[in-house]
Amino acid sequence: MSELDKLGIVISYEFLKHIRRKRLYVVLGIALVVEALVLILIPVLLDHYPSSVMAMAAMLSAGPSLAAIGAVFFAGDAIAGEYEGKTGFLLFTNPIKRTTLWSGKYIAAFIAVTLMIIFSYIISVVSLLVIYGEVPIEMLESFGICLLFAAAVLSMTFFFSAISRGSMGATVMTLVFVWVLSGILESVLSFTGNEYWYILSAGGDAIALVYGGIDMFMSGFGGGAHLQAMLENYKPLSVGMACWGMSIYLVAGLALSMVISRRRQLA
Amino acid sequence: MNEPIVIENLTKYYNKFLALNELNLRVPAGENIGLLGPNGAGKSTTLKILCGLLRPSSGRALIDGIDITADAERALTRIGAIIETPEFYSYLTPEDNLSYFGKLRGMKGDGLRQRIEEVIALVKLESWARVKIEKFSRGMKQRLGLAQALLHDPPILILDEPSLGLDPRGVVEFREIIKDAGKEKTVFFASHQLVEVTQICSQVAIINNGQLLVYDSIKELKKKYKSLEKAYLQLTGGSIE
Repeated sequence: MSELDKLGIVISYEFLKHIRRKRLYVVLGIALVVEALVLILIPVLLDHYPSSVMAMAAMLSAGPSLAAIGAVFFAGDAIAGEYEGKTGFLLFTNPIKRTTLWSGKYIAAFIAVTLMIIFSYIISVVSLLVIYGEVPIEMLESFGICLLFAAAVLSMTFFFSAISRGSMGATVMTLVFVWVLSGILESVLSFTGNEYWYILSAGGDAIALVYGGIDMFMSGFGGGAHLQAMLENYKPLSVGMACWGMSIYLVAGLALSMVISRRRQLA
Repeated sequence: MNEPIVIENLTKYYNKFLALNELNLRVPAGENIGLLGPNGAGKSTTLKILCGLLRPSSGRALIDGIDITADAERALTRIGAIIETPEFYSYLTPEDNLSYFGKLRGMKGDGLRQRIEEVIALVKLESWARVKIEKFSRGMKQRLGLAQALLHDPPILILDEPSLGLDPRGVVEFREIIKDAGKEKTVFFASHQLVEVTQICSQVAIINNGQLLVYDSIKELKKKYKSLEKAYLQLTGGSIE
């Protein structure tokens, strides 16, 4: 039996685990609520939807972005959970390479997150068709970047899962890294005119930035001139460079998690 | 292979704590060997190394002549194991879990389905086969643990306190299953239950502080020390835990 066959088995059963767990549906529900809030609150607060379909598409990308962050909840226990929950005492006594196991877990989690992202984009597409009668082609690019962002977040979650004793620790560390640390660094760097494409959260911004820069976004909502002074030093993100940044996190996070977890023992 | 389990100068440190100190042991084919020792003697560490869960600091452990550290995947095809209280994926059913582990061992189709039914019946979990494991008691998990250890009909069974958490009826049933399996397989198991060991095993290895104190047949030990219990107490220099 080849390792490829075993990889397929791990993917199918890990995916089955995701389907049977509540967290997939919770994250899906949250993404749905976010999309619903965007669709309900904008006309309530502005009396109308933005004039530009691109601005609305950018607003609706909040749902898929959140779904991508949902990767944290799928992968937080991927490695740490086998040690913490002691399921590793059964799993690791099977004749399978650890790298095959972790790869299978990664792919299964990525498939689960991809399904959530697709679901969020379907809501966005239907909403834009109903409101504007059109869907910008840039949504495809946004979808691709969202998948890359999810893959990078997943890799970093695997890294934290490999170094953590418990699943909760891995989940919290990843969320702090992606949302808090990266977010603060990105804000400081961007508003001081520095490059910040290599910050992971910039990848999340790139999901919406394919529809246009911040100028387009504000004009789409009928405002923005007053922001000029505030944005004096602001350096816009290059989407292409953000993709490179995410790719680095994707490769480095996954490689490090494999190396660390291969060395890890189950005492 | 005349000696399916060979342990040579096995040493294991947990940071500075010496858990195994150049342990040597050879388990002949078809024998049922009990591994006895007080808490912290190194029993679980030995079994975990044999199952590829821990790496030895030095020395080596061979399963059917295969070094577990060098080629764990090949060595693990020969063993079925229960280490500590087995924890399964709680959101899957026993059938799902056994199907997962069976497939990883190359089993498939009707053969796998039939074998799953057999081992589930053997450990008397038929009515729980399709219930999520989150509802299972410790004893039920232990039963399922034995089912997964026997699933692929391995020639070697490595069991760490297999009857832990079982009710008295379960202990008796388990003992019979292991005894029955031991007629064809090599069984190496750690236990604190001397009665259980006497009923299942022909020989025992008693270890303490990571070192082998004695490795002999129960018959010989009884002859020399009057009973296995006395042998254990005298050799380990303390009370039975």
